[in-house]
Amino acid sequence: MIRLENVNRTYTRHGQTVTALQCEDLRISAGEYVAVVGPSGSGKSTLLSLIGGMLSPTSGRIWLDDTSVYEQSVVARSAIRRERMGFVFQTFNLIPYLTALENVQVPLTLNHVAPGDQVRMATTMLQRFGLGDRLNHKPSEMSVGQQQRVALARTLVNDPQIILADEPTGNLDPTSREVVLKAFDTCYDEGRTIITVTHDLAAAARAKRRLVLTDGRISEESLPHAKAA
Amino acid sequence: MNLRSLVWKELRERPWSVVSSSIAILLGVAALVAIRHVTVHSEQEISRQLSSLGANILILPKEASLQNYYAADRNGQTLPEEHVTEVLMAGLAGVEKVTPKLSMPASLGGLEVTLTGILPQSEFTAQQAWQTAALFTPKKHDGCKKASHEPSDADKTPESLNTTRAIDNLEKNQIVLGADVAERSAFSAGDTVELLGGTFTVLGTLSRTGTVDDSRVFAHLHTVQELAKSGEVVSAIEVIGCCEDAAGDLVPELSKLLPNARVVTVSQVVQTQVGVNRLMSGTSWFVLGILVLVGGASLASAIAANVRERRREIGTLMAIGATPGFVQRLFLMKALVLGLVAGTIGCLIGLLTAVLVGPQWAGVNVVPLPGLALLAVSAATLLAVLAAYWPARQAAKLDPCLCFQEV
Repeated sequence: MIRLENVNRTYTRHGQTVTALQCEDLRISAGEYVAVVGPSGSGKSTLLSLIGGMLSPTSGRIWLDDTSVYEQSVVARSAIRRERMGFVFQTFNLIPYLTALENVQVPLTLNHVAPGDQVRMATTMLQRFGLGDRLNHKPSEMSVGQQQRVALARTLVNDPQIILADEPTGNLDPTSREVVLKAFDTCYDEGRTIITVTHDLAAAARAKRRLVLTDGRISEESLPHAKAA
Repeated sequence: MNLRSLVWKELRERPWSVVSSSIAILLGVAALVAIRHVTVHSEQEISRQLSSLGANILILPKEASLQNYYAADRNGQTLPEEHVTEVLMAGLAGVEKVTPKLSMPASLGGLEVTLTGILPQSEFTAQQAWQTAALFTPKKHDGCKKASHEPSDADKTPESLNTTRAIDNLEKNQIVLGADVAERSAFSAGDTVELLGGTFTVLGTLSRTGTVDDSRVFAHLHTVQELAKSGEVVSAIEVIGCCEDAAGDLVPELSKLLPNARVVTVSQVVQTQVGVNRLMSGTSWFVLGILVLVGGASLASAIAANVRERRREIGTLMAIGATPGFVQRLFLMKALVLGLVAGTIGCLIGLLTAVLVGPQWAGVNVVPLPGLALLAVSAATLLAVLAAYWPARQAAKLDPCLCFQEV
């Protein structure tokens, strides 16, 4: 369970304080598939960063089960991300000098998995996304769709409970977009929590719950096919 | 995959960046290693030459002059033999060898000679007090040999009296003949001779040096003391001092240690040659300064630029669970690899340069000094890591939310 309790996040720019996000109470249960929609600058990425333990709130608390995330040390928050979360980025954020296999190995390296196991687990994950013949290709040698599949493999290789996605289909052609959304469907079926920030209404429609962000304020729009939490 | 392979793959991806960021360290290490190698070998060569000329510092009785010494120190004035112990116990920097001598006139087969008593080096090692003194040998620069009275191969033959001013073993009934004495008396090694009422065996003869030593007969110091009935005294203490120290602090330090003795040095010879060494030594410090300033600044700037261009990658790594410590180690290890590689290549270039130019530049043959090479590589590595510390800290403090920003 993820809970935001009286969370407020402000930025000060040129002497002016801007409220990026204001949230009295938001609860996301384990296994939910949530889409966060809203115009640019409405605070979507701020919400994702707050939940991901990367941006401390100006006030309020964020809970992950019984843990108040920002009362943990920086190192402990890194461990939470490493062990319980997976991130999907709009621009994939693959490391350009590493091959597909090595990119997927990075989270395993951070989790101190033995090198032999790293190769085995990363290979299996890439094969699952149909990239068994691209293991030793660098990102620059792959198509955009293939790059996003590598990014997805990197996200899932540590078997995270929570997936945080920032515009995961923003740069993709329809075929690749469908691969990503299918992967999210599978994750949902496996019981993982998915929080995806998106402008893509069709992608948002695949989620079982929709949050709308307007000027930093969250409103909720329930969908008829939402899975009971 | 691990931290090391991540660093290695990033370095391989940007080879020119690697070269440009570490070129200053590479050149600095090369220059430093070349200059230091030539300087050290030059010092050793000067030390060797001075040793072959004779002692470069003499401790004489207060009233004696250098002329007295070169006139075979037969003026009758003496010093207590315990001054030798005092010199060794003081552990002064630059004292390489100490040889006490006592001379007296004698007749060998009707030939007037100077009988000179010397203490073989084996006697030093036999005396516990002087052994202990070696433990307190202070720091000294690279060209100096450690003050030691352990037997060395160079001191094993009588000829060593000419080359190192010392001999390893000399029994109390043995003598060594100077070249003139040997020629004029027709005695040679193995002969038995009568001298001042005693019977001695000729251990060997010396080759011609063109000095007063050619007309000396060398015997054990304690034998000469007994024959002269002088007690435990010496007429001079020869000190082979490291060239730079002999021209610098060693003479005043010895004078302070032995206020009742006269300490003199062949200063003109030493000063000229040490001047060259001091110039090279000064140059090496200058190069070290340049290395630290330019090499360090250049690498720090390259790592800082690397951090800037990899902000997105750092943010991504942090988002997927890298700790600030991991990010900091990523850049420090990169700096360590750069420092190690630049230091090693620079050291090899420096060694090659020293070996090639040493004979032309300073007239010395240079052989690699592993200790100096290791020190140079270690210093370059340490410098690189220190230079990268601040940019690496900045990388570790980067906001992981960078991963959500557009390129």
